[in-house]
Amino acid sequence: MKENTNTARALLLPALVAAIFIALWTAIWRAGVFHQSAFPSPLAVVRGFGLEVATGRLLNDSVTSLFRVTCGFLLAVALGIPAGVWMGQKLSARLAFLPMTNFFRNLSPLAWMPFAILWFGVGDAAAMFLIFLSVFFPVVLATMAAVGTIPLVYFHVAQNYGLRRFEKLTRVTLPAIMPQVITTLRVTAGVAWLVDVAAEMIAGRDGLGFAVMDARNGLRTDLLVVEMIVIGIIGVLIDRLLVQLTNVPSVRWGYER
Amino acid sequence: MRQYYAARWIVGTVLFTAVLGVLRYEPWKHEGARDVAARQQLTVGFLPVTCHLTCPVTDFATRTSRMTKFVSQRFNDFPTVVETMKAGRLDASFLIAPLAMKLREQGLPVKILYLGHRDGSEVMVRRDLPATSLRDLRGKVFAIPSIYSNQNLVIHKLMEDQGVKPSEIRFVEMAPPDMPEALASKAIDAYFVGEPYCAKAELDGSGKVLYYAKDIWPHFISCVLVVNEKLIRERPDVARDLVRGIAESGEWAETHRVRAASVVAPYFRQDEALIRHVLTEPPDRVSYRMLNPTDVEMQEIADMALRAGILEKRADIRHLVDRSFIPDTIRAVDIR
Amino acid sequence: MTGCLELTNVSVSFEAVEVIRELSLAIVQGEFVAVVGPSGCGKTTLLNLVAGFERPSSGSVECHGQVRMVYQEDGLFPWATVTENIALGLRHIGDRRERKRQIGDLLRLIRIEGFEHHYPRQLSGGMRQLVELARALAGGSDVLLMDEPFSALDYLTRLRMRNELARLLSEMPRTAVLVTHDIEEAAQLADRVVVLTQRPARIRHEFTISTPRPREPTDFAVVDAVRRILAELDVESGTEASTK
Repeated sequence: MKENTNTARALLLPALVAAIFIALWTAIWRAGVFHQSAFPSPLAVVRGFGLEVATGRLLNDSVTSLFRVTCGFLLAVALGIPAGVWMGQKLSARLAFLPMTNFFRNLSPLAWMPFAILWFGVGDAAAMFLIFLSVFFPVVLATMAAVGTIPLVYFHVAQNYGLRRFEKLTRVTLPAIMPQVITTLRVTAGVAWLVDVAAEMIAGRDGLGFAVMDARNGLRTDLLVVEMIVIGIIGVLIDRLLVQLTNVPSVRWGYER
Repeated sequence: MRQYYAARWIVGTVLFTAVLGVLRYEPWKHEGARDVAARQQLTVGFLPVTCHLTCPVTDFATRTSRMTKFVSQRFNDFPTVVETMKAGRLDASFLIAPLAMKLREQGLPVKILYLGHRDGSEVMVRRDLPATSLRDLRGKVFAIPSIYSNQNLVIHKLMEDQGVKPSEIRFVEMAPPDMPEALASKAIDAYFVGEPYCAKAELDGSGKVLYYAKDIWPHFISCVLVVNEKLIRERPDVARDLVRGIAESGEWAETHRVRAASVVAPYFRQDEALIRHVLTEPPDRVSYRMLNPTDVEMQEIADMALRAGILEKRADIRHLVDRSFIPDTIRAVDIR
Repeated sequence: MTGCLELTNVSVSFEAVEVIRELSLAIVQGEFVAVVGPSGCGKTTLLNLVAGFERPSSGSVECHGQVRMVYQEDGLFPWATVTENIALGLRHIGDRRERKRQIGDLLRLIRIEGFEHHYPRQLSGGMRQLVELARALAGGSDVLLMDEPFSALDYLTRLRMRNELARLLSEMPRTAVLVTHDIEEAAQLADRVVVLTQRPARIRHEFTISTPRPREPTDFAVVDAVRRILAELDVESGTEASTK
C-alpha cells in the first residue's frame, strides 16, 4: 500500500514540476519578455518536433551522435582499464606515466578540436577522437587508484589458494575494482555525451550538436529547443543504462557498505 | 554468476554498437550508389548564406544531369572549412576572399576560379538610432563576421573616406547568425554581414539598412570559389564542369528568384520567406552575374588586406586567380 | 610428514624494527596451538611466515602440507557467492560433479543450506566466518591458520563459534594455529597455548591443556588455564598497574 503511494508520488511530483515549468515558459512567452524570434512558444516546439521526426532527421542525428559516443567511449574504456591496471600494479609504470596522464586529464578535450579536424577531417573520426580523450584519461586514473586500494588480504587469499598470475587478474583484481570503475564509467559517459555535442557544434556535418548549430544558423529557435530536449533526454537515458551495471549482483558489495 | 553477467553485458554492448553502426551507415542505401560512382563526383563546401546560393543550386541541378555530380557540403563556420581543406578532405569551397588569400600565403596551394556572387551584404543599424552615415556611429559597437572578411576591409575603407578614425568605432567579431538577435537586444548597434542575416533584422523590425553593398562598393565581392591546385592538375575537366555549373546556376537564380528561394531553403534549412525577401526586395540586393574576378578587384582586396595587417606580404594576383575555366557563353541551367 | 610445522631460530626484521627474535616452535600433526601475547607483538607475522607470505630474516620455517588461512573479517571475496568462495578451496578437483558434491557436504556441515547463492555481505558475521572456515577446510587441506577469526563478532556469537570450530575439527581433523587476543578462547580450544613476549617476540611460556574438547568456558581446566595465562601476562587482579 505504502509502496503504491510512493510510486504514484514518484511519478506525480516530477510531472507537476514539468507542468509548472511549461506553464512558466508559456507565461514568459505570452508576456513578451523576449523578442518572439528569441523565445519560441511550447506549441512551436511541439510543431518543430513533429517536423524533425517526420523528416527522419531527428532519428538520424540521434543515431549519429549515439554511435560516435558509443564507439569513442568503448574504445577508451577498452584501452583505459588495462592501462590503469598496469599503472596500478607496476610502480615504475606509475612513476613514468602518471604526470603525463594527469596533464592530459586536465586538458580540455575541446582544445584538441582544431587538430581533430586537421587529422581526421569533419565527421565520425574527429568526434570519436575527442570523446576518446575525454574518457580515456579519467578511466586510467580511476582504475589505477582502485587497484591501489585493493586490500592485501585478497592477494594473500589468492596466493593461499594457488591462483596463478592471470587468474589473480581475472578473479581478484578486476572484480575488486569493478564498483569504482563502474562509478567512473557513469561519470565519464556523461562527459563523453557533453563533449560529443560540443564537438559536433564546432566540427560536424551531422549529429545532434550540429543540429543545434544548424537550427541557430537557420534562425530556428523552435528547432533549437527540440534538439536541446532530445540531447537532455538521451543523456539521462545513457546514465539510466549504466546505472544498471551497479545492479549486477557481483558488484553490489561496492555500494552497500 | 559473474561470467553470466559479463557475457550478457558484452553481448549487449556489441549488439547495441552494431545496431547503431547499421543505422548510421545504412549499408542497403549504398547498393544503388554504384552507378553514381561511375560518374565523376566532387564535394563542394558552403555556408548557409545567400552568398553561397549557387552551390546548392548546382548540387540540385547535377542530380539529374550527366555531367560531374556535385555534392554540396554545408559548414557552419569558416575555420572548419579551412581545417577540412588543410586536412586534404575538401578540394573546393566557397570562402571569403581575404581568407582565401591568407590560405595561399600560408602555403596551401589554392586558386580562385570564380566568384560566388556580387553585392548581397548590408550595413545594418538599430532602427531606433537616427544614423545616416558612419559618422553617426562614433562610439558605437559594430559587429563584423571575421577580421578576414571583405566586409571588415571595406568598412574600414569607408570610414577612411568619411573621416572616421579606426579607434572611434568599437569593432567586435561575431557569428553572423547571432547578429540579428544581438541588434534586437541592443548588445550591438550596427553590423555588416552577408545575407540573410541582414534581411532577418529587417523583417523582425529591429534593424534598418544603412548602406547596401552596392552603395559603398559597386559589385562588392564577399565570397570566392576556391579550389585546391591538386584538383586543377588531376581533374581539370571536373574543375571546368564546376565553374560552368556555378555560372549557369547563377544565371538561372538571377532570372528565377522566387523559384531559387524554394530550391535552396531545404539546403540552408532556413525560412523560405526570408530567402525570398533577400532575393527580391529589392531584386538588385544580390547579384549572380558578372562573377568573373578581375585582377584589379582582387589586387585591391589584397592591398587592403595588407594594409589592415591581415596579409604579411603583397599577394601576387596572377598566381592566385585562374580564369581559364570560365565558359565563354553562359546559359541558365535547365531546372524544371 | 604432512601437517607438521617447525620453526627453528626464526628472526624477522622490517627495516630497523625487529619483530621476532630467535623463535623456535614445533607443532605436530593434528595439534591445536593457540598463540597469545600483547598486541603488536608479531603474532600475525608468525602466521604470515607459516603461510609463506613473508620470509624470515634468519632461521628456517618448515611446513608440510597444504596451508590455509582464515582472517579476522573480509577474507571472503565479496564479489563471489558462498558457493563460489568455497569452490576456491576445491580448485584442484577436476571433476565438476565431485566438486559440487563436496561443496554440498561442506554447506551441510556448516549448516547454511539455502544461502548457497548469497553474497558475503548478505550473511551475518558468524555465518561469514563459518563459510571462510569451510573454504579453508575444503579439499583436504592440512594446516589451518586462523588470525583472530572471531574477534569481530559479539560475545555470544563468539561462544557459539568456538563450539562450531571444535565440532568442525572433530569432523575434519587438521593441524591448527590460532592467533587470538581472547585468552578464554585460547584456553577453551587449544591443546597448547603459546604466550609471546613484547616485541621482538619470543616464546615466554607454554601451557598444555590435556582435557579433551569440547570444553565449556566454565570447565575447571579452562578457568584454571585462563588464570595461569593471565598471571603470565601480568594482568591478573590489578597487578598490571604495579608492574608498568
